[in-house]
Amino acid sequence: MVSARRFRLKSVYSPLPAYAELHCLSNFTFLRGASHPEELVKRAAGLGYSALAVTDECSLAGAVRAHVAAKDVGLPLIIGSEIRLQDGPRLVLLATDREGYGNLSELITRGRRRAKKGGYSLCRGDLDGGLPGCLVLLVPHGKHDAEHARCVAERFADRAWIAAELLQGPDDRAQLAALRELGKTYGLPLVASGDVHMHLRSRRPLQDTLTAIRLRKTVRASGHALFPNAERHLRLRMRLAQIYPAELLTETARIAGRCRFSLEELRYEYPEELVPEGETPTSWLRKLAEEGLQRRFPAGASQKIHDLMERELSLIAELRYEPFFLTVHDIVRYARSQRILCQGRGSAANSAVCYALGITEVNPAKQELLFERFISKERNEPPDIDVDFEHQRREEVIQYVYDKYGRERAALAATLITYQPKSALRDVGKALGLDALQVDRIAKSIAWWDDRRELATRLRDAGFDPESPVMLRLVGLASALLGFPRHLSQHVGGFVISRGALARLVPIENAAMPERSVIQWDKDDLENLGLLKVDVLALGMLSAIRRALDFVNELHGSAITMDSLLREEDPAVYEMMQHADTIGVFQIESRAQMSMLPRLKPKHFYDLVIEIAIVRPGPIQGDMVHPYLRRRAGTDPIDYPNEAVRKVLERTCGVPIFQEQVMQLAVVAAGFTPGEADQLRRAMAAWRRKGGLEPFHKKLMDGMRKNGISAEFAERIYRQILGFGEYGFPESHSVSFALLAYVSAWLKRHEPAAFLAALLNSQPMGFYTPSQLVQDARRHGVEVRPVDALASEWDCTLETGADARIAVRLGFLLVQGLSREGAERVVGARRDRLFDSVEDLARRAELNRHDLKCLAATGAFEPLSGHRRHAFWQVAGIETGAHILRDAPVAETPAVFSPPTEGENLVADYASTGLTLGRHPLALLRAHLSRMRFATADELKLLPGGTRARAAGIVTGRQRPSTASGTVFVTLEDETGYVNVIVWPHLIERQRRELLGARLMGVEGVLEREGEVMHLVARRLTDHSALLGELVTLSRDFH
Amino acid sequence: MPQLPLEIFLRGSSTPEPFAVEERHCVFVCDRKASARGVRAGMAVAAALALAPRLRVALRDPATETEALLGVAGWAAQFTPGVALEFPDGVLLEVSGSLKLFGGLESLLERLRQGLAEMGWSSVLAGAPTPRAAFWFALVGKQKFIGESAELEPVLAALPLEVLRCNDETLAAFEAIGVRTLGELRALPREGVARRFGQGPLAELDRALGQLPDPRNFFVPPARFGAAIELPAEVTRAEALLFAARRLIVQLAGFLAARSGGVQRFVLSLGHRDKAPTEIAIGLVAPSRDAEHFTLLVRERFASLELAGPVRELALKADDVVPLPDRNLGLVLEQGKPPGQWEPLVERLRARLGSEAVCGIASRAEHRPERAGVIADAGQKRLQLDFGERPFWLLEFPRPLAEIGAVPSLEGPLELLVGPERIESGWWDGDDVARDYFVARMQNEALVWIYRERRGEGGWYLHGVFA
Repeated sequence: MVSARRFRLKSVYSPLPAYAELHCLSNFTFLRGASHPEELVKRAAGLGYSALAVTDECSLAGAVRAHVAAKDVGLPLIIGSEIRLQDGPRLVLLATDREGYGNLSELITRGRRRAKKGGYSLCRGDLDGGLPGCLVLLVPHGKHDAEHARCVAERFADRAWIAAELLQGPDDRAQLAALRELGKTYGLPLVASGDVHMHLRSRRPLQDTLTAIRLRKTVRASGHALFPNAERHLRLRMRLAQIYPAELLTETARIAGRCRFSLEELRYEYPEELVPEGETPTSWLRKLAEEGLQRRFPAGASQKIHDLMERELSLIAELRYEPFFLTVHDIVRYARSQRILCQGRGSAANSAVCYALGITEVNPAKQELLFERFISKERNEPPDIDVDFEHQRREEVIQYVYDKYGRERAALAATLITYQPKSALRDVGKALGLDALQVDRIAKSIAWWDDRRELATRLRDAGFDPESPVMLRLVGLASALLGFPRHLSQHVGGFVISRGALARLVPIENAAMPERSVIQWDKDDLENLGLLKVDVLALGMLSAIRRALDFVNELHGSAITMDSLLREEDPAVYEMMQHADTIGVFQIESRAQMSMLPRLKPKHFYDLVIEIAIVRPGPIQGDMVHPYLRRRAGTDPIDYPNEAVRKVLERTCGVPIFQEQVMQLAVVAAGFTPGEADQLRRAMAAWRRKGGLEPFHKKLMDGMRKNGISAEFAERIYRQILGFGEYGFPESHSVSFALLAYVSAWLKRHEPAAFLAALLNSQPMGFYTPSQLVQDARRHGVEVRPVDALASEWDCTLETGADARIAVRLGFLLVQGLSREGAERVVGARRDRLFDSVEDLARRAELNRHDLKCLAATGAFEPLSGHRRHAFWQVAGIETGAHILRDAPVAETPAVFSPPTEGENLVADYASTGLTLGRHPLALLRAHLSRMRFATADELKLLPGGTRARAAGIVTGRQRPSTASGTVFVTLEDETGYVNVIVWPHLIERQRRELLGARLMGVEGVLEREGEVMHLVARRLTDHSALLGELVTLSRDFH
Repeated sequence: MPQLPLEIFLRGSSTPEPFAVEERHCVFVCDRKASARGVRAGMAVAAALALAPRLRVALRDPATETEALLGVAGWAAQFTPGVALEFPDGVLLEVSGSLKLFGGLESLLERLRQGLAEMGWSSVLAGAPTPRAAFWFALVGKQKFIGESAELEPVLAALPLEVLRCNDETLAAFEAIGVRTLGELRALPREGVARRFGQGPLAELDRALGQLPDPRNFFVPPARFGAAIELPAEVTRAEALLFAARRLIVQLAGFLAARSGGVQRFVLSLGHRDKAPTEIAIGLVAPSRDAEHFTLLVRERFASLELAGPVRELALKADDVVPLPDRNLGLVLEQGKPPGQWEPLVERLRARLGSEAVCGIASRAEHRPERAGVIADAGQKRLQLDFGERPFWLLEFPRPLAEIGAVPSLEGPLELLVGPERIESGWWDGDDVARDYFVARMQNEALVWIYRERRGEGGWYLHGVFA
């Protein structure tokens, strides 16, 4: 075409003009922006823009992502925001310096805090301060432009412009002329900008779809709310040169030149109050660490440990990270003072300083620590110190942080909620006008175990043609929408703490819950900027351990602590683990762990550390499990190419199992620096998603060859590194977890009653339901007593049994639907005098009918009323509420009810507390099941491998581990124990209904066994749920 | 009528897919194909879809159920004047006086059963000296007939409490004390039950036993006949409609029999998705109420019928209204009407030309110019929209323009005055456009609206003319 040739000529002869885009929304302007900040930055750099301003609407939520991407590609990034004033113009505000940034952040905070979640409200009055340090672009609207221009000119003399956004509208020429006129009148210069909503014009369908989703309409019905064309993208400079007069383009670069602020400047704004007068952060941390070391090693620490700490302290000082340690130390110190159990986890356990400060429990005298895994100079990234607290008391710790730093300086980080496959399909489907049920069906047909590649098949199964244009659009748009941010929610425990007012550091907005607020950045953002962040996490097992220790110490008058238990190893505890008798034990209670325990047979603490780390997708996919087991058993030889490698791998029989070992190997065998080794670790974590491991491959191979290591060994190590992928487990983390695993196992072995009561009081947690925990404890001889209105407390308690053994009394907390207040009133009223009838209890404890019914349903009234039916009859006859006749006794003919059958009691037990102390449901059905030739779990144990067998049980778990290539593991429970069933993919397809639907499942298959580990490989599944009648069993699906 | 909520959807024709009716996100009732795949009443719809991915789910439709129940009552009135409704799914017939007329109980039951089946309804028939007892037997699916009050008590005692249709909470309370049958309820101390559960359950029981009166209002059939069937899937062949039509005809015949009358004309109306329904009037030489005769006539008409589109609903109407003869109306307004009133004109144009021939135009919010105008009902309010300069006359199909020396040409080179206005829109219906529009001046000073195609071959097109 002639015209096209003309364009090309022009581009050859006149150099492209400089251009900075000053008005650009990312997808952090939810449901408007159609590109990720990273995409915008990359594209702007590719187009040769001199700068890009990311100006999300009243938000800085995408700023850090844009910043990180801009740093990568070397594009100057401007931080700004688009604001629509309630009573006036739409403005773009750009920060020139830290002061301007702080003012902008505060303005956004003010607007957001005034509105409910997701909205904001600002008016001209909010700009009366003039917003020093910010530049202002007026975005004309066509109406009231003159008045708006006057308003802007009055407030922001010499730092305000009119944004000329020529977007191929009906008459751009006339529009430009009008804007020039306006500028002349009010003394405002014009500048070109693009109202950018997407990085490429091809995002138009997605942008239209977002508009429709925002309006809750279909795209078709969205009409003029859609943009008429795709011009709101990052345009070629050549195109801009054709559209705009040159001076308007030059002006963009001039403005960009004035915006010198970078988010980098926010670093090191750490709180200062934790350092007493006369001390520096460095000297104070040293003092605390030395004191701590003295406490940890009363007899004096070894020279090695002193050296270790010295090295850490000097690196911490060099990187100015002391505030991180001081802050966490302060929080941990507070928790200890309140007797809240806590323990650091993750890579922090690689630090001798953290050990000395009491943050972590991994003893550097017993354990190789790799400090570089925690802090590395090359990474120059602030330390990540995660601390677990008892889950039911974590709130106290959070309140302490708020009290200490004030709400204006401490806040929880945000969690970015993004589009997932289901939500993306639903929203896009609605926007395309598919009916809600259809869309739901599509979304649901992507069952939790379905591969996304199977989408086409699933669509066809659900009765849709995957090749039809509508489906192609749906799937295409939904995949593009995947990962788009939807809204900000509060992070569970990641705190940011600032030196000055937090609102000048990052905008704060309202959360969905009243009185709650959330900052606009998530944990990754904080980490990327190096801001001070502390993770206050919750761990149920810590609650359970603290409770169990309290029970034990009260019972025996002892003073057992975690520390004291960890001082020596008890063979009886390991003996129990070797038989996979670990229901309720931290970390090693899962089915996968249980089938590893009899093979690995842990005898010492370090075995437990390996056990925890080895049953992970990383080692399984990296093919480390079997080589390790064979070498450990002595069937495979253990070889090391040299002494240095031996030192690294000896503790794991020559197979790298931990992240730290891979890093150390890279150092000692391939000549990496510790920092490079850390980069290798990060690349390992990301390669599956991003690739990028190849340069390391070459470097590893070359390095190892240089050190005389065989190519075969080197390749093996590299393959194992690949297998690790993102699932590699740090040794330090595993050690921290192993400590808790050992202590909980000790409690289970020696104090099963206290352990059960503590676990029940700490629910929900772990893999097992209260019913499973109770069954397991009873199999171990623990007496468990029912909920009783005359004996139970809210929590489960310990009672002395008939033969002086300890029994567990179930607490009211297990009664479904019962209010805590009601239960506490029962306990309170009982203290004065025991109840003599249900009516007496109802009156004195002032229970409402709902609570009375809940208690009657559990059988808690049995000592007062006789069996449940009498209890219900009496409860139904009680007048509750403020009735004048309430206290008047009613004389009525007594009704007589026949006692419920065993089956009825069982159903009522499950319905009211989720567990029964009577016989297991399958015991009731056993005669019937035997006729159907189903064996019990106990009977299966006696059969040799390879036998055909039939088993039936209540389905308590269905799992489809990502490592098992489509196989589903089903756990069946009967009156004697558990049967582990393996269902191969071909059977899944044929018996989907039985697999998904059966609550009582029969399995016909072949036994497979290896020592104590036994599986039933299914050949046929049958659904016998009808036998259960109304029995409700809970199955847990793990996603 | 145990399957009423389901059959209002399925009696017109069968579907290959399993079918269920949903109420409050749960399956209320489902067909056999669905239950064969494990779907059960009470199950969450989501769970049902997991079991049967192709399951079709309809929202429960109480209004249509009631209409259907009234229709059955109207049909049943041919057997007795004493017809009463037991909402939502029962019809009571007082038959003691009709037995002789219809050849005894067995023969009457056979006629009821067959007629209901022909109309597409499943039924459970039961009889007892009291209406309450008879209905309860039917509710639990017992085809039981008891003539003597004395025999009633032991049979009622064995019935489950569910027949009381009390709320879930009361039912749960009875369950909790282990009371499952009416007999067990009666065995409890009366005052104790009344204090806990009110007088209701006991009074119901007394009515069933005939110990309390239970008067009923008899159903009065309407003057005109009208009934409809919604089809579960769109039907494209006329013959396939006969099945559904037959169900309505049987109902009509019963209705007519009950009134001792007949019709000389009835209208079948076929409902389409987007179009007005197709009306088929069937006239008879003499009034009749013979279902077979009606069926024959309808079959003939269907055989020659060209469907205007897929049919979603079938309705049958028989009014007593005699059609008016055609009259010629003048188009000129009558004297004395104020000028500017266009409604009478529209009405007359419509009467003369047919209602579809007269319409108005309106604009709608849509970026693509050819879709921004729509045909609307005459007189519908026009939308006021923010357009740029748009021509009043738009060509139905844009016309390609010659390009001479990079300049578009229409009877000579065109001068581009305003533009380009870029329009890129419409991907969602497969008709995405990407054009740059210009206002251009012809040599003869006329203004036209043209665009340059941004896709494929490119080229210039004439799209509109400014008036």
